[in-house]
Amino acid sequence: MASRKKILLKVVILGESSVGKTSLMNQYVNRKFSNQYKATIGADFLTKEVTIDDRTVTMQIWDTAGQERFQSLGVAFYRGADCCVLVFDVTAPSTFKSLDSWRDEFLIQASPRDPENFPFVLLGNKDDLEPRAISAKRAQQWCQNKNNMPYFETSAKSGSNVEQAFLAIAKNALAQQNSTVDLYNEFPDQIKLTNTQKPSGSGDSCSC
Amino acid sequence: METEPDEYHDCFMQDGVLLKQAPSSHMTALNTIGTLYIYEVTRSGESCNKKLLLEWKQNDITVDSDVQYQEWAVVNTVQKRIRTLSENMPEHHNRSKSLKINFDEIKSFKVCNKNRQLTFYDGTSERICGFLFQHGNCEHLVGMLKTILKVGVSRRDKQIYVVYDSNSPEFQELNRSFAALNLKNEDNSFWHMFKHFKENPYEGSLGAFAKVTNFVYRSVEGSDPDILSRDELYSSITELDDGVPHSGGEYEVINALPQLPRRKEFPRCNPLTEEQWRSQFNSLGQLEDVDSIKNLIFRGGVSPTIRKEVWKFLLDYFPWDSTDLDRQQLINKKNEEYYVMKLQWKSISQKQEDNFSDYAQRKCQVIKDVNRTDRTLEFYAGDNNINIQTLGDILMTYVMYNFDLGYVQGMSDLLSPILWLMQDENDSFWCFVGFMEKVMSNFDIDQAGMKEQLTQLRVLLSFIDPVLANYLEKHDCGNMFFCFRWLLVWFKRELNQDDILRFWEVLWTGYPCHNFHLLVSVAILEHESEALMENDNGFTEILKYINELSGKLNMELMLNKAEGIYNQIKEADHLTDSVRSILGLPLIGTKNRGSEEQSSQQESPFESPDLSTPRTEPCCSVDNVRISPDEIAFEKSISSSFL
Repeated sequence: MASRKKILLKVVILGESSVGKTSLMNQYVNRKFSNQYKATIGADFLTKEVTIDDRTVTMQIWDTAGQERFQSLGVAFYRGADCCVLVFDVTAPSTFKSLDSWRDEFLIQASPRDPENFPFVLLGNKDDLEPRAISAKRAQQWCQNKNNMPYFETSAKSGSNVEQAFLAIAKNALAQQNSTVDLYNEFPDQIKLTNTQKPSGSGDSCSC
Repeated sequence: METEPDEYHDCFMQDGVLLKQAPSSHMTALNTIGTLYIYEVTRSGESCNKKLLLEWKQNDITVDSDVQYQEWAVVNTVQKRIRTLSENMPEHHNRSKSLKINFDEIKSFKVCNKNRQLTFYDGTSERICGFLFQHGNCEHLVGMLKTILKVGVSRRDKQIYVVYDSNSPEFQELNRSFAALNLKNEDNSFWHMFKHFKENPYEGSLGAFAKVTNFVYRSVEGSDPDILSRDELYSSITELDDGVPHSGGEYEVINALPQLPRRKEFPRCNPLTEEQWRSQFNSLGQLEDVDSIKNLIFRGGVSPTIRKEVWKFLLDYFPWDSTDLDRQQLINKKNEEYYVMKLQWKSISQKQEDNFSDYAQRKCQVIKDVNRTDRTLEFYAGDNNINIQTLGDILMTYVMYNFDLGYVQGMSDLLSPILWLMQDENDSFWCFVGFMEKVMSNFDIDQAGMKEQLTQLRVLLSFIDPVLANYLEKHDCGNMFFCFRWLLVWFKRELNQDDILRFWEVLWTGYPCHNFHLLVSVAILEHESEALMENDNGFTEILKYINELSGKLNMELMLNKAEGIYNQIKEADHLTDSVRSILGLPLIGTKNRGSEEQSSQQESPFESPDLSTPRTEPCCSVDNVRISPDEIAFEKSISSSFL
């Protein structure tokens, strides 16, 4: 019965200012990159239809302001999220260090029913830029301690790995939604949160 | 009903009275001229039964009182709310020559159109009839009515006189509850929604009010909203079914819709010209009449040729009363001050910076943001743009000037047009300081200033467009977050460069009141309200819609409407201190006056403690129904099914 229902997946992108949240969203949805994006004020979102395992779902991808000061507004935008995407800039260590606080803040403000198992996906963006400050290994280690959070290295500029990352995000979001509404039956094990997403190392994302 | 008169005598007469509204039995007499009389009738067989009657007679009727009297139409709503004719004249024979109104029927009347129009309402039914006085006005008649009836001016509308009649059970019932409503004309689609009044009086009544207001304010362009709203309201709450118990009674009917004065147009004027500007300076170079200058700027902005100079005054870099000499000294002093502060951060070594994370964070954020500020403008375009460098230097110097505030996203948006105009680092800095003084609280670390403004916006919207405010409240949009960007950077992201220069200079005048930008926001929301409330839109759709208004707003129209709204608010009878304080109008202590201030205060979504009485509930905005704050949502009552 649920297969006929229109599925909307809400995904929230979080991370420090200027790590490329808006760019990632636009690259994924519109396949465009611009270095003229302004700093996001408030929030905005884009939608994209994707097919996951023969089901068409609508992804609603939310982009918010990155400065810490605006975190307190998140409550209005995070609610009802099915997946949270954390983004850092692989060339800027401070953006990696703040990931914990973004994750914690999201869990506080969105207050999902099962915070332990709420799906997060980590994106290390700007992997087209040098010099690198955060190695893939370091990022993966962080992910292991966070319930084996899937990790992707992306370039919103070149588009590298962006599609794959968002597909994983969509699958995680869908799994989250199904688990929330107790529809396990329809989606057997293929979309487990933890094991199936093979973290992409920097090697396979280096298309630049 | 006995209608045989024994004797009567005139108490009052006025000719040249046009029948504007009448019961269906008198439709043919509409818009014909006649004479209004007040009679005292003493009936035979019932001693001391004197009764006053109001009668309108069509002019072309030759009056033979005895015969004529039998042709009067008695408007009787006491039992079945059906207008009946006197027994001697079957309805289809009625020639509409005269219309008789029993004073018992009149529960309120309204005087409008400069005392030239008078409309009677029976309170539990439709409006009885209305008259337009072509010769003079109705003041004399109203004076008579005041002596005949026990009346008081409505709290909501000075134009409405309410007749006190404690004996009317219907009226009492009406004052208690809507619960027992049972409409008969259900086949009328407009009132279809009242069907579920009995099951869901709370939802039903609010839905009704929302629709009534919506209908009145949105669908009936050009008609008199005051009259219509009362009309529709009263017909909606007619036909009380005595047998039905009403539930709880956590709401209460008061007596009339709050009515705003009519909106006036305030088309924008020509910008302040160089000639006008120069003529205002005396021999010392002092501005003579600052108020009139500000007023001109408020009405039309500033001509581009003098903008650079005028902005220094508007942004409090130059004091308005300064002389040429004062300003020359000031420039030198401020220039020095600026470069001292700039040197402070320019001389910080990399090592110092590494050990000074608060500073490094601020600097990092500034660099990130200047590189993505208005890069599409030629002035800021291209790699290694010197103006981007200057933009960053000014913001960094501001960090030193106000380290606690530091740099917050949005500030680069505020500085960009200033630097673009001034093309001078020192002038731009001090003008930016002046702008920041005006919007400082937007950048509070805890966002308290923004939250307060969003709450204030909601209060103002509730006052101006309660239907939309109600809708937003019930669709998870009561926090008004979708207006965040508008308010944070004063529409910088919504308007093009030319418009933003004009818009800001108008706002900087501080005319005509505090927080005029909130009234601009209200004007836009109201302008877009139909689209906002389409398709049962929720927060997501509304945020998207608002974001996509960027680049599409008509700035002049916004200002025009906002000024119209300001004047409506200022002249509104039901203006509360909470609204007054937002706009900086003198408070008059309405705290305990009327019902509106007692309406249960909605808890602020931001727990903003210093805001008094945000009146956000749909009911108290409409001011007819009071609801307990713990009532749950009632989306269905105002859902799209009525549209």
